[in-house]
Amino acid sequence: MDENSMNEIEQLTQERPELAALARESLDAIEAAGTPAELEETRVRLLGKKGSIAAVFKGLGSLPPEEKRTLGQIGNALRTLAESELTARAARLKDAETKERLLREATDVTLPGRRLPQGHDHLLARVIDDVTDIFVSLGYKVVAGPEVELDFYNFEALNTPPHHPARSLQDTLYVRRSDPVSDDPKDILLRTHTSPVQVRVMESERPPLYVISPGKAYRKDEIDATHSPVFHQVEGFAVSEDITMGDLKGTLEVFARKLFGEERAVRFRPHFFPFTEPSAEVDVSCFVCAGGGCSLCKGVGWLEIMGCGMIDPAVFSHVGYDPEKYTGFAFGGGVERIAMLKYGVDDMRVFFENDMRFLRQF
Amino acid sequence: MRISIEWLKEYIDIEMTAEELADALSMSGTAVDRVHTLGGGISGVVVADVREVKPHPNADTLSIVVVDDGETVREIVCGAPNVRAGMKYPFAREGARLPAVSSKPLKKAKIRGVESAGMLLSAAELGISEDHTGILELAGDAEVGADVHQALPLEDIVLELEITPNRPDCMSVVGVAREVSALTGAPLRLPSVELDESGPPVDTLARVILEDPQGCPRYTARAVMGVKTGPSPAWMQRRLTAAGLRPISNVVDVTNYVLLELGQPLHAFDLDLLAERTIIVRRAARGEPMRTLDGVDRQLDEATLVITDPSGPVAVAGIIGGEDSEVTESSANILIESAHFDPTSILLTSKRLGIRTEASARFERGVDPGGTAFAAARAARLMNELAGGQVASGEIDAYPEEIKPRTLELRPSRANKVLGTDLGAGEMAGILQSLGARVEAGEALTVTVPTFRPDLEREIDLVEEVARINGFDRIPETVPQGGGLAAGLTPQQRLEKKMLAGLTAQGLSQAVTYSFMNPADLDLLGLADDDKRRRVVTLLNPLAETGEGMRTTLLPGMLRVAGGNINRGSKDLALFEAGRAFISQGEEVLPVEIDTVALLLAGDLHPQHWSGRQTACDFFDLKGIVENLADVLGITVLEFGRASEEFLVPMSAAVLSAGNEYAGYIGQLHPRVASAFDLEGDIYCGELLAAPLLAAANESVYSPVGRFPNVKVDVAAVVDEAADAIEVERVIRRSGGDTLKSVRLFDVYRGPQVAQGKKSLAYALEFGSASGTLTDEQAHRRLDAVIASLQKELGASIRGREREGEAR
Ligand SMILES: [Zn+2]
Repeated sequence: MDENSMNEIEQLTQERPELAALARESLDAIEAAGTPAELEETRVRLLGKKGSIAAVFKGLGSLPPEEKRTLGQIGNALRTLAESELTARAARLKDAETKERLLREATDVTLPGRRLPQGHDHLLARVIDDVTDIFVSLGYKVVAGPEVELDFYNFEALNTPPHHPARSLQDTLYVRRSDPVSDDPKDILLRTHTSPVQVRVMESERPPLYVISPGKAYRKDEIDATHSPVFHQVEGFAVSEDITMGDLKGTLEVFARKLFGEERAVRFRPHFFPFTEPSAEVDVSCFVCAGGGCSLCKGVGWLEIMGCGMIDPAVFSHVGYDPEKYTGFAFGGGVERIAMLKYGVDDMRVFFENDMRFLRQF
Repeated sequence: MRISIEWLKEYIDIEMTAEELADALSMSGTAVDRVHTLGGGISGVVVADVREVKPHPNADTLSIVVVDDGETVREIVCGAPNVRAGMKYPFAREGARLPAVSSKPLKKAKIRGVESAGMLLSAAELGISEDHTGILELAGDAEVGADVHQALPLEDIVLELEITPNRPDCMSVVGVAREVSALTGAPLRLPSVELDESGPPVDTLARVILEDPQGCPRYTARAVMGVKTGPSPAWMQRRLTAAGLRPISNVVDVTNYVLLELGQPLHAFDLDLLAERTIIVRRAARGEPMRTLDGVDRQLDEATLVITDPSGPVAVAGIIGGEDSEVTESSANILIESAHFDPTSILLTSKRLGIRTEASARFERGVDPGGTAFAAARAARLMNELAGGQVASGEIDAYPEEIKPRTLELRPSRANKVLGTDLGAGEMAGILQSLGARVEAGEALTVTVPTFRPDLEREIDLVEEVARINGFDRIPETVPQGGGLAAGLTPQQRLEKKMLAGLTAQGLSQAVTYSFMNPADLDLLGLADDDKRRRVVTLLNPLAETGEGMRTTLLPGMLRVAGGNINRGSKDLALFEAGRAFISQGEEVLPVEIDTVALLLAGDLHPQHWSGRQTACDFFDLKGIVENLADVLGITVLEFGRASEEFLVPMSAAVLSAGNEYAGYIGQLHPRVASAFDLEGDIYCGELLAAPLLAAANESVYSPVGRFPNVKVDVAAVVDEAADAIEVERVIRRSGGDTLKSVRLFDVYRGPQVAQGKKSLAYALEFGSASGTLTDEQAHRRLDAVIASLQKELGASIRGREREGEAR
């Protein structure tokens, strides 16, 4: 309540008790209005042209100046008081009304939200993206190559001997030609690995080269839990004047720890591939047992994730690089295998069945 | 290759535990796949003599055997096919402990009505090999009743090694011992070949004629006369079974034993069965017949190298023997063949005949040409020791052109450059010497490589040996600098990623399918004979289950994914696949590989929500997805025309072009095709070609936005039913001028308020200007121009012209 107005009124109306009563009645009426409509009625009743406060001013002109001034003062004070009380009451009513409305409109926050449809990446695509991103951050570019490939790029230029078992019809899918010659560099086949991209890039570009090449590869494998005639590989290689095997180790260690976790240990086991020498298989410490031995790592404590090595000088000779001047490393890993290890998928077939219940998980 | 540690220790002292040894071998390139512990925890097994074998009254495959175990003679039931009277076998008494069979002690059993207390054991039941095809025969001198541990050392650890194809030398116990020697520094002890050559000179007993020195560069032979065949001693049987071979008889076992010991395959002939006691090594004649040891009658060809006598083939060289000259129990005079064959010739013949043996597996990788004489002498010594007789003096060694050890150079600086190491020349020389090479120091090391290492042909091969034995773990790790400016994704690759992300963002999930296709699928689609997608790349040797061609379209694969999901109860599908289609360009050249994105919608795009109802997807959902994609890529020139794909519903199919290039199709799958693929319900599908879409993509361009709200007006044009909406929109855009900022069709109306054969298309237009205020009046002048063009160019009548609030 406006204390000043009320004090003023009480002083002024000592001589006029009926006006003091009017002030009190006005305040009570305003306080009694329970809705904005009732409050508006009260306003009209008090301050309207025919209102009780307006009546105080009526016939003021006929009074002597002294009385006129006093009564005018009282009237103004009454009006000021009524106006300010009306405004305050209106605000309080509005607050109450809002509060009540919000209570009425209460939401069950546990009901499901309305979602825009959300698609999912295929797990293999996600792994390829993750691997590619790591190598891009290490300064590699991404190059794709043909999936239907010449024997030359898939075998010959990669130093694979003529009668190597991998070249047989039992292992490799060949394209039908009317006059097929076995082990012919002109034979057309479905690439058995992504390594032909190495040869294609080196054939058309000069070092330094830092390349990563993810893609599909094919083998004549019957479909079961651990075999698929179509699978994905990520190939990578670096060629420069001073690439060492230490660089290969350092690079793949960074890769493996970025992909599988910084706490992973990495080791390199000597192995044999026709197109690299020295060659190695890369193991990371088991994610489940961290080296102690469990069913995932078959008790070994290590999980094989890829093959790698220093590019064989014979491969350089095929593409016209001087093996005395350039050195390089190459590596390749199976995307399905990485996905199976990292996400605990135990059957390769799920990748190609595309069951929505699988796809939605990633 | 299975290597017994007990056997290995004959040639080298090993201080490490089996686990440490396995680890050391793995880390030097001889991967240890498994470690088998043999024969531990066995008790209650003794040497028993079989007195008599009688048929079982109730079962043909079983026998009743009278067994003497040194304490009692009893009858037991035995199911082994090889049980014979007079032989000695391991016998498990009642209560025996056999961990390979059961964790509980052996109990008396009733087998087909006959009580049986105890059992004769196979090598598998003893846990010393996986061979359970018969019971294990023990040597004749084994003492009946003695604990089996005295007759043969049962407890052993066997390493299962994965030998890489470049290391034939490691396919032997001595070869693995040499690796261990290089790793640990312990000296290698070669087995003894000291002989008592008391027999007549070998060249008076046999003759070898080498007609094909290419196929057989060396043929060494020795003879042992007057042997007595019988079972080999238990220690040899145990080593053979531990390695996975089955003991046969002392003479044959010796050849297998030396094969495992030295890696040199041997063959034993019954000298008396060789016509004129003469061996001729030659190519077979076309169609020459021969019955091999596996009992198969074969027709040979000119590419096959054969060992013959003057009457015909007695063995397929290096692969398998013939039945005619096979050593039997009655053989007395033995000719031991220890030869070197050309690896390629063996590989091709073994492939052609479909036979792979322990011998061929070694010959095809390259056996040591310098080791034949040593192996022949070793075999003669062992045969003499185990089967008696007299070793003929001297050897036959047909070796017309000696294969000399190779000499290579190794520059230490080169090795360090490749490896990133700082090893001294002395360290490198030491490693190579430990592997059997002779090394002379100098500016570069001059390395004479032993003949048992055919894989060491070039300097880089020596670099690898240095790295391997020194340890890959000792190469310091570094990270190279990377490709600099050349690194990272190209703008095209970034767009490609954006495109796929644009699909998942719109609710489509990614599928990955095989790239194969059955060409019959194209008939199911109903493609015309001259359709480009009929140019299928067909496979010579396809897998039966995946179809014989490479896909020319991703659609059949997508339809099968949809079908599989619908059958499994997932009926609401929004899928895409990004993959390649392959179009043949003729059989002598590589096909064109087309990066394609297949799309498929079925059922409801939005899952049913409690607040409203679900709606089945339709053509415009699919089209909207493509339009959004165009927006994401900044394509301004994507157009949809009427498509005439045979597999789509004729009036609900659109062909896409981007910058006037064909960019794919979308539409509703024809019900005929849907049912051919066993699909029910409406399917919306499409294929987008990545190349034209990415080529039409544009970088986003900034254009200033006016400070005042745009003026929004609606206009409805009544046009012929046959008119395409895109034509109306083109007229509006053209006549709207620069200030026309957006055109949006918001209603299509057919009904009583427009004439028959007409439709009303209502558009919301927004006019605006970046430079200043666009007045209502100016906007309406533009609208007047638009209306005039619609009337004039399309004969449209204007149904409504409304103005909306300016500050909506
Ligand atoms: Zn583990």
